[in-house]
Amino acid sequence: MRRFRIIIRSLIFLILFGVFHYVLPQHDVVRVVNTYQERQDLGDWTRIFWSKPDDQSATLVNRDVQFIQTRKKKTYLLGFIRTDAEEVMVYRNEDTGWGWPFYFKFDTANLQTEADDLQSTAENPKWAVVTHYGWRNELISAFPNAVAIRPVTGPDVTIIPWFNILFFLVLAVIIGFVRALWRQFRERSIDPALEDAGEAWEAVDARADEARGRFSRWLGSWRKK
Amino acid sequence: MGLVRLVIFGFIGLSIVYVLVSLYSRSVRLEKLEDQWAEEHPDGDETDREAWLREGMEDYKRSFRPKLILLVYVIPAIFVLMSLILIN
Repeated sequence: MRRFRIIIRSLIFLILFGVFHYVLPQHDVVRVVNTYQERQDLGDWTRIFWSKPDDQSATLVNRDVQFIQTRKKKTYLLGFIRTDAEEVMVYRNEDTGWGWPFYFKFDTANLQTEADDLQSTAENPKWAVVTHYGWRNELISAFPNAVAIRPVTGPDVTIIPWFNILFFLVLAVIIGFVRALWRQFRERSIDPALEDAGEAWEAVDARADEARGRFSRWLGSWRKK
Repeated sequence: MGLVRLVIFGFIGLSIVYVLVSLYSRSVRLEKLEDQWAEEHPDGDETDREAWLREGMEDYKRSFRPKLILLVYVIPAIFVLMSLILIN
């Protein structure tokens, strides 16, 4: 039973980690090399890695998508450790519209213009910070979606992920509140009801006693953590 | 259409949160009142107790605190507006 619980919890943790890692904004220090637009086929399961900018796009089998080609500073440990090494990164640039994930991005054309404006060569680099979400995967042609770009003076800027800090603080508050809510509900509603039911059962049958004992023990297994 | 969908589902979701939060808030207040009564009148009359509790809950309903729970709707709306302005 305990092993089962550990497996379930690790699975939930892994899925949550994956979702957060995909959806939460991350920042890359990049040098824009070029931008391009290319027709993309959207007919298979990798559709989930493309946006639905508006309602009619939901039924399209293919459409044009804008891309931003960059060279970015390599990072490790969820982007917390940045190195001097460089790698290639290509971002897609799509509206997210009113849907998931909730970035409410509608300024794709403007962002593409800003990226064009920041184009530079290796000899005379212009550095920028790209805010994005999503994953790059060459095998299934998935691209992270660029959300914003801003020029910076040099490649060693300090980036503080304010949104993510706030997000996890709020998440902690929500979890604490749900726990308080559940405790209050159990204390005020479930436990008294169980006591009443228990008394009634005791009067009827001794076997009911045992069942209640088992049920309480089961409840107790939730209580002691 | 996307906006309409977001508003409808957002409203449904936030309404569930609103109901849960108001139930919780009411329950906490009632428990506080019960504890206060038990402290002040260790051997009080049952009908007196119930009347006093009812009055306390009426006061609570009229107070500003339950209206604060409407922030459940306001804060996400402000958040959406903020992101619309900041992202675009």
